[in-house]
Amino acid sequence: MKTLTILLIEDDMIEVMKLNRTISSLQLNHKIIEAINGEEALKILEKKDELPDIILLDLNMPKINGIEFLGILKNDPILKYIPTIILTTSNNQRDLLECYKIGIAGYVLKPLKYEEYVSKIEKLLAYWSINELKQI
Amino acid sequence: MSQHKIDILERALAREKAARKQAEKILEDKAAELYDTKHKLEKSYSELQALLNKTDSQLQGVFENIVDAYVIIDLFGYILKMNDAAVSLLGFKHNKENFNLMNMVPPNEVERVQETFKKLFKEGAVTNFHVNIITKTNQNLLVHINASVIYDQGIAVAAQGIVRDITKEKEAERQLIESENRLAILIQNLESGVLLEDENRKIVLTNTKFCELFNIPVSPDFLVGQDCSHSAEQSKSLFEDPEGFVSRINDIVKIKKKVLSDEVKMVNGTILERDYIPIYEKNTYKGHLWKYTDVTLNRNYRKSLETQKEKYGNIIANMDLGLIEVDNDNKILLTNQSFCEMSGYSEKELIGKIGSDLFPIEEDRGKLNDEMENRKKGQSNSYEIKIKTKKGEIRHWLISVAPNYNLKGEMVGAIAISLDITDIKNLELQKERLLGQLAKSNDELQEYAHIVSHDLKSPLRSINALVSWLKEDNKDKLDKTSLQNFNLIEETVEKMEQLISDILMYSSISSDENNKEAVNLNEVVTDLIKMLYTPEFITINIIKPLPEINGYKTKLQQVFQNLICNAIKFMDKENGIINISVEDFDDYYQFSIQDNGIGIEEQFHDKIFKVFHSLKKSKDSTGIGLSIVQKIVQLHEGKIWLESKINQGTTFYFTLKK
Repeated sequence: MKTLTILLIEDDMIEVMKLNRTISSLQLNHKIIEAINGEEALKILEKKDELPDIILLDLNMPKINGIEFLGILKNDPILKYIPTIILTTSNNQRDLLECYKIGIAGYVLKPLKYEEYVSKIEKLLAYWSINELKQI
Repeated sequence: MSQHKIDILERALAREKAARKQAEKILEDKAAELYDTKHKLEKSYSELQALLNKTDSQLQGVFENIVDAYVIIDLFGYILKMNDAAVSLLGFKHNKENFNLMNMVPPNEVERVQETFKKLFKEGAVTNFHVNIITKTNQNLLVHINASVIYDQGIAVAAQGIVRDITKEKEAERQLIESENRLAILIQNLESGVLLEDENRKIVLTNTKFCELFNIPVSPDFLVGQDCSHSAEQSKSLFEDPEGFVSRINDIVKIKKKVLSDEVKMVNGTILERDYIPIYEKNTYKGHLWKYTDVTLNRNYRKSLETQKEKYGNIIANMDLGLIEVDNDNKILLTNQSFCEMSGYSEKELIGKIGSDLFPIEEDRGKLNDEMENRKKGQSNSYEIKIKTKKGEIRHWLISVAPNYNLKGEMVGAIAISLDITDIKNLELQKERLLGQLAKSNDELQEYAHIVSHDLKSPLRSINALVSWLKEDNKDKLDKTSLQNFNLIEETVEKMEQLISDILMYSSISSDENNKEAVNLNEVVTDLIKMLYTPEFITINIIKPLPEINGYKTKLQQVFQNLICNAIKFMDKENGIINISVEDFDDYYQFSIQDNGIGIEEQFHDKIFKVFHSLKKSKDSTGIGLSIVQKIVQLHEGKIWLESKINQGTTFYFTLKK
């Protein structure tokens, strides 16, 4: 299985811990880069030689919200090729449609139960591990 | 012989001698007289002869020069003699032709001609015999013949006749009759009642309409010859002023002068116009003509026209709408009081001004010009426009303009009705603003609900994660009670999460007509039953096939899901039965979901539809479910209620609009 570099854009500390713990408990070798908001993420993405394979994006963030960030991403000639998966609590249809319109690679709802979360993340990462991605 | 004897003898002789002499004298006289007479006779005879000859030749001349054709024929019909008129009439070349007149008789007339011949020879003459003939030149003629027989010493030797061509006369006569007939028919069917009387007031002619107007129940022909002296008296009861009617007629008849358009009213409401026309022939009065025309409609029409005119005049003067009439150059010709009040100008200030220059504000002038162009094409139109009153106030007017035409159909300008809609307009603008605000705040509320639910759910998720890590990391260190408590935390968190989801759903139920679709409820419910977890001791039956409904599919599914789940949840019988059925009403369906479960106390029948009124506190009941159901039912213009008996079961009813 391919080892992925994952950019997680998430302001909730416990959510970050959840992903980390999930990956380690599943004994996966994916590398996680953390950004607590859009600005920080954009800064990370400036280094074009260290771009992540996929981005996990929370919609509900202070300052630049997830949809705005997505817009910026998809307008960038290089960054627009990075598959971006929304990881959110919001099942608001309007958000969902807007995201797919701008261009996303998935829309995953954060479940209440941690066990379910682990199961969802496991599948998500397994899926992206077998995908062919743009070579940096 | 005695002397005496001799004397006697001598005396006798002498007497004889004297007598003879006397006789001779008489004879001589007589002879002379006779001669004289004979002479006279001879003279008179020759005179007579001359006279006769003269007459004869005169007659001859007359016959030859007579205008009418004159023909003499022998007893077999052969022409003996004819004049020039006859030659030309009968189509001969000259008067010496040897021709039998019978050859001119067409086959269908032969019999009549033969009979007439017989009559001619029997009676010596026929007159006025009309017959069709075919002349030598093949012309069909109708001729009139007077003929007589010529006798020689008492024996008929020939016949003579005068033949006149009456073809044209006959035709003219026929035309005259025809035109008379036409005239008669015309009079009979005239829309006016006509009565022609002679100088003795006897009816010469009348017509159907007259009989109709005067209620005379016989045909007009029947009235001819009747005396009219008292007819006015007989008919007077038909009229509103019977005595006036009679006296007026008597006056008119007495004066014998033309009277036109006399108006008389009948009891039945009919109004008649009466003409009286006396007829004079060479200054002699020969009778008169009455003509009655029913003018009720005209009169009433005129009257109602006047009433209407007055009515509309009043309306225009008193209505709250401004009225303005302009000519083709938009010059104001007329305004009403309301228009003056609306515009702030007096009528004096307005008349003669150009309306399109006076009122509109600059930005609407172009619009007004467009409308005027349309009007020139004959279109009526209504439009809103902003205008400036005399005081400088800006007002909104709704103007409805129609082209105005003269009697010849030429456009002479326009008439406009204007209504000050400033207040309405302001309200409209306000409404639009409010609606906009409402939509915005609805949107905001929706957003808010999502954000709140997100923000509320996030900590729950974190708690859940943290609890499960605590459990996981201290698997061996925790005692039974602690583990139980952790489980309770997890359950509480789950319930909290469900509560938030339900509140979000409840606040998201709003109508959006565009998302309505045809929903086959039978499919929806059948699928639902398959999907739901139903314990084995419970049977769910669809009693009657459910209909198709125009609505929101997922929401309708939610209604059934909630009600069926409730029925399952509160089932306490060993043989649980849930029956789903429907009744078809005029404009809605009534659905029922019946169970034989625990039942609901009557005091709660209304309460259970209120938010957070869960009757049984259980881990999977938030108390919002039935509120959501009610809201969805109401969204489909229906209502929901229930019937229930404790321990026997509950039936939920709800209606959905067709």
